[in-house]
Amino acid sequence: MRFSCLLIMTLLSSVSAFAKTPVFEIEIRDHLFHPEELRIPANTKVKLIVHNRDSTPEEFESYELNREKVIMGGRKANVFIGPLAPGVYPYFGEFNPKTAQGRIIAE
Amino acid sequence: MLINSVILILREVLEAAMLVSVLLALSLNLRVGVRWFFAALVFGAIGTVVFAGSLEIVTDALDGAGQEVANAALQCLVYIFVVGILWLGTSATRSASRDKVLVILMACAVACAIIREGAEILIYIVGFSAVEEQRAAVYAGSSIGAGIGLSLGVLLFATLRALEETHAKTACLILVSLMATGMVMQSTMLLEQVDLLPSGNTLWDSSSLVSEQSIAGEVLYAVFGYESTPSVVQAGIYLACLVLCFVIGLYSSFRKGATRVS
Repeated sequence: MRFSCLLIMTLLSSVSAFAKTPVFEIEIRDHLFHPEELRIPANTKVKLIVHNRDSTPEEFESYELNREKVIMGGRKANVFIGPLAPGVYPYFGEFNPKTAQGRIIAE
Repeated sequence: MLINSVILILREVLEAAMLVSVLLALSLNLRVGVRWFFAALVFGAIGTVVFAGSLEIVTDALDGAGQEVANAALQCLVYIFVVGILWLGTSATRSASRDKVLVILMACAVACAIIREGAEILIYIVGFSAVEEQRAAVYAGSSIGAGIGLSLGVLLFATLRALEETHAKTACLILVSLMATGMVMQSTMLLEQVDLLPSGNTLWDSSSLVSEQSIAGEVLYAVFGYESTPSVVQAGIYLACLVLCFVIGLYSSFRKGATRVS
């Protein structure tokens, strides 16, 4: 039992060490994204963790990134993006598109 | 807020309304009745409430991939049901049992589409009606958006009913194949989003031709799952699913010819 646990843990850690996906965090507060502009490495898969600090739900959406995900109030959600060619990729909150605007810059 | 609500609800309602219109027209065309639709509405509504109500748990499930997996499953199920509808809808041998299976498949496809689109609508309306100053705008905007979406559905239904019978049937089957295939492609995007499918390179960029943010792009997205920057995986799956629809449709019609001869 202990051995299998150890084996699983070793396997998991080797997988995550192998993947080495960089993690970036974005916050939604008062229907605004923080940071508004996020710089990520180009040509690399990246994991975004989007925290919704508002009490209302929000939908993280981007036409350029082909992403959409509903995030309930006070919750967080993971979104993988990339590998992206260098460039600017805007995203927005579909439930508050006027204020919730941000962009990802792959460089 | 008002105009946002109109657009948001319209986008969601349109997707389900188009599928409903085509399947209703098809079921009248095949003379299997439309009673299945009321069952689909009931199950769709129950499913919507359950899905929206448990979205927090669903989102955190499967290491944070639950929401995407659930939505992708709903969209792939619609495709599977539509493949069944194509098979039975084009076959010549009519029987009570065939009609029964056909209406069950139609009801299941519509119920899945309603849950997928309805959950987002419900979360939005419930979430923002809690905010006093936005409540009126959200209700009004959502009603207008839903009204426009449903009207477009009725328009498509009326158009399909106005066509000559055999043409209408072919049109319905082609439309429903394209819609369901578009859903599968959107589901591959969701699985890429949680790293369950590799997101390959972008195959082409047609956003300068038809932007997804334009009205044409939005309509194409809602009805056919239009994607201006598809990845290799998405395009491949789209093509494979569409080919499967046509092969099944053609094979089933070919068998019809064979039965007629014998």
